Amino acid sequence: MTEPNVASTRRFAAQCSATRHFVKRCLATRHIVGALSVVAILASACNTSTDVPDTAATSDVPDTADATANTADAMPIKTGYGVDVENKIIRVGVNTDLSGPYTTLTSKVALAQEVYWKWLNNQGGINGWKVEPVTRDNQYKIPKHEENYNELAGSSDDTSVVMFSTSTGSPTTSAIAEKLVEDDIAALPISWYSGWADPAIGENVFEMFANYCVEAINGTTYMSEKHGNKVALATVAGSYGEDGAEGVKIAAEALGLEVVYDGQGQLRAGGDISAVVTRIVNSGADWVWVAADPSTVRQVIGDAYEQGFRGYWAGNGPSWNPLFITLPGNEVFDKYYTHSYYSVLWGMGESEGMKTMIAAMREYEPEAVFDDVYVLGWIQGLATSQILETAISLGDITRAGVLKAARTTEVDMQGIAPNQSWTGDPNDYIVRATYLYDIDVASATSGRSVSDEGNNNGYVLLKGPYISETAKNWDFKPCFVAS
Amino acid sequence: MTSFRRPLLHTCYTQDTQIFPTWQQKAFCVTFIAVLVLMPFDIPVISHIPVIRFLGDEDWLHPVTETLVFAIAALGLNILSGVAGQVSLGHAFFMGVGACTAAYLGGNPTDATWGHSLPVWVWLPLSGVSAAVVGMVVAPVAIRLRGLYLAVATLGLVFLGIHLSYTSWGRKIAGVPEQGRRPPSLDIRLWKDDRTLLNLEDDSRWLWFDVSDSQKRYLFFLLITVALAFIAKNLIRTRTGRALQAIRDRDIAASVMGVHELRYKLVAFGLSSFYAGIAGALFVCMSGDTGRVLVQQFDLFMSVELIAILLIGGVGTTAGPLIGAFFVLLTPKFVEKSTQWLEKAEDSTFGFLSRAILTEGDDFGVINTSVQTPGWSLSIYDWNVVFYGVLIVVFLIAEPLGLFGIWTRIRNYWRQWPFSY
Repeated sequence: MTEPNVASTRRFAAQCSATRHFVKRCLATRHIVGALSVVAILASACNTSTDVPDTAATSDVPDTADATANTADAMPIKTGYGVDVENKIIRVGVNTDLSGPYTTLTSKVALAQEVYWKWLNNQGGINGWKVEPVTRDNQYKIPKHEENYNELAGSSDDTSVVMFSTSTGSPTTSAIAEKLVEDDIAALPISWYSGWADPAIGENVFEMFANYCVEAINGTTYMSEKHGNKVALATVAGSYGEDGAEGVKIAAEALGLEVVYDGQGQLRAGGDISAVVTRIVNSGADWVWVAADPSTVRQVIGDAYEQGFRGYWAGNGPSWNPLFITLPGNEVFDKYYTHSYYSVLWGMGESEGMKTMIAAMREYEPEAVFDDVYVLGWIQGLATSQILETAISLGDITRAGVLKAARTTEVDMQGIAPNQSWTGDPNDYIVRATYLYDIDVASATSGRSVSDEGNNNGYVLLKGPYISETAKNWDFKPCFVAS
Repeated sequence: MTSFRRPLLHTCYTQDTQIFPTWQQKAFCVTFIAVLVLMPFDIPVISHIPVIRFLGDEDWLHPVTETLVFAIAALGLNILSGVAGQVSLGHAFFMGVGACTAAYLGGNPTDATWGHSLPVWVWLPLSGVSAAVVGMVVAPVAIRLRGLYLAVATLGLVFLGIHLSYTSWGRKIAGVPEQGRRPPSLDIRLWKDDRTLLNLEDDSRWLWFDVSDSQKRYLFFLLITVALAFIAKNLIRTRTGRALQAIRDRDIAASVMGVHELRYKLVAFGLSSFYAGIAGALFVCMSGDTGRVLVQQFDLFMSVELIAILLIGGVGTTAGPLIGAFFVLLTPKFVEKSTQWLEKAEDSTFGFLSRAILTEGDDFGVINTSVQTPGWSLSIYDWNVVFYGVLIVVFLIAEPLGLFGIWTRIRNYWRQWPFSY
């Protein structure tokens, strides 16, 4: 009963017959193959007595290795995994989403970071050291993220890294947060969860920019000044959406606003949103704060508008997708949506950093389609290179050395974003400034390449860098804590 | 004399249903399991078997362990779909039930979550049992529906499960959505806070070997996989197994023969869900104490992945799901690794191959190695997804019995060689 049924077996027999001639030709070699296999096994068995397996050689190198190399100024430098001393190459890990739900955003971030390293290496690197990113696709899945982490945090001569210049996602980074501590590795996340600054949650996760909570505090303050005191909020569950929601509540309490609908954690990507939309419409809110994935946000705003809601909208940075500018219904966003973000956007301002980035993108990826998220990738590279520079100047580019360097580095964002450090008490160093943009469909130049002049994704800067009084006076603690 | 008898000449039913009809098969199976056990360790001979060596490496051990979990789940799905013929797209839901039970019974209580900190020998079997009970509740649906309709009905379970995880008590059990909670401990102890009898969460020394936590988890999961595979294989040889196969081949005919349809469908759903529950519980512990329980992972894609494992490996056989799990989960990684290796290849032959196949988006290579994939060529990650879809189609059309079918054909040819008729 366990064997394939009779009909199938007959079919197999027929197919076997068709392949018989081919197999017969193979039969002539059968004995030769057998003999060779025996020889191969004997040879491998004999080898064990004389050879040391390759893997043993690498696995015996401790991370805090005593291996030393001489830098250009002949100062001895401590190195370990992730450093190719001979060729003076430092490897950094990019564990990001290249085929999952956030690919359109994160692949561009990874591209901009690659451009940064090409540009930096061609400038002579960091004190003569070249930096090589080792990029892996986490598909925005935790097991895959962990698998990549294990590989890059391992001891391979080709793929081990000294730090992660990118670890994409809140749940994925949460899954490796403790391993980072165990392995003495630093990681820069693409996730703005307020808990990362708390050593109990993200000791080795070096968050950049303002977190979702502070961002919502600033956003709520601005929106209440502009549009009124009745606020509704609708967010996804988890450390992204609920962190933002808590920020709105902190600001609402401080400013005496009325939360007319609390939809914290009620939205779901791809789920039914009709109940949330109905409640928003019936709430009488002057404006709504959202924190979800862009397509859910677009659906919520569109459905509420169709049901007659004419209040204003704002949301955490990842809620917005510049593509909305080109889609039907863009006039609703133009009129009612305020975009909150963490940095200056492409081409805005006169900063040196922005000019360098645009020039580098045009030189190395002239055909790339223009997008603001390149700024983010460039900043990841900027921060990583400055951390590595500190580590080199301290004479220690082991993983532990780089980690120590990260804690003492003051990252100069060159005018693209607020400067960042991770030294001392989180309450003192967390970034509290955000940027608020008005959506302006008329000024959008979507679909052009980075080489074109005057690119704009349809934004007009309203305020920024902006720190509200509430955000300034807020005593840091994680706004939202998971179990 | 028995050892020299003609292969496949079975003179009684017991011989016909033996797990290993020949001593060669027995020896092969024992050797294979021994190699799997020793695979993670740096031992002479084992270290020199090319594929085995790197599968045992620390960074390959995680996907291999994941493969074992999927193999258990696929063995369960095989009992339901392969042996009893009931198509189910809800297998991930039952895995989720097992994961929630494990988190609830074995997880530590916090302000935000419930937990009982029970030891693994309690929460692991109960994860299977709870999933089995839920499976048996669903089973009566299979009396009214079959084929596509049953598939759609079970598909609903996946969405139901994810919806429930968002409720307030769902959060208490499974943690905040997308953030999850800590997994239960795999350490073996008598009761909650008793001394640990067998430590599976930290590196330590067993006999002559230094064993890391991931190696321990691999061995523990392997033990469970082997045990469950034998149980699944044995089940097919029993009265229950024969009844399930009778229902698969024609349920009305089975009823006429006296096979109680409802009872055996209950058994099929119960057993299949038991396997799924165990797999779900192990899935959340796969990364040790630093991992997270994330029940939103038990989604439709996971159900489809399990069906793909079954189709590619071979439906209705015990070896099929095992082969399929290894093939479906590890092949993309092999392809990915080979591309990364090829990208670095510099010698003349492979350098040429690298230039012919790979591109950074500016020429005609098939695989785009740039992080962005403009133009017609795809990245290796995208090719893997295409490859996966194509494999399902090809196997369904050309080889419905899957990899196991191909193996059977090859085996039969060599068994009869040189007398093909």
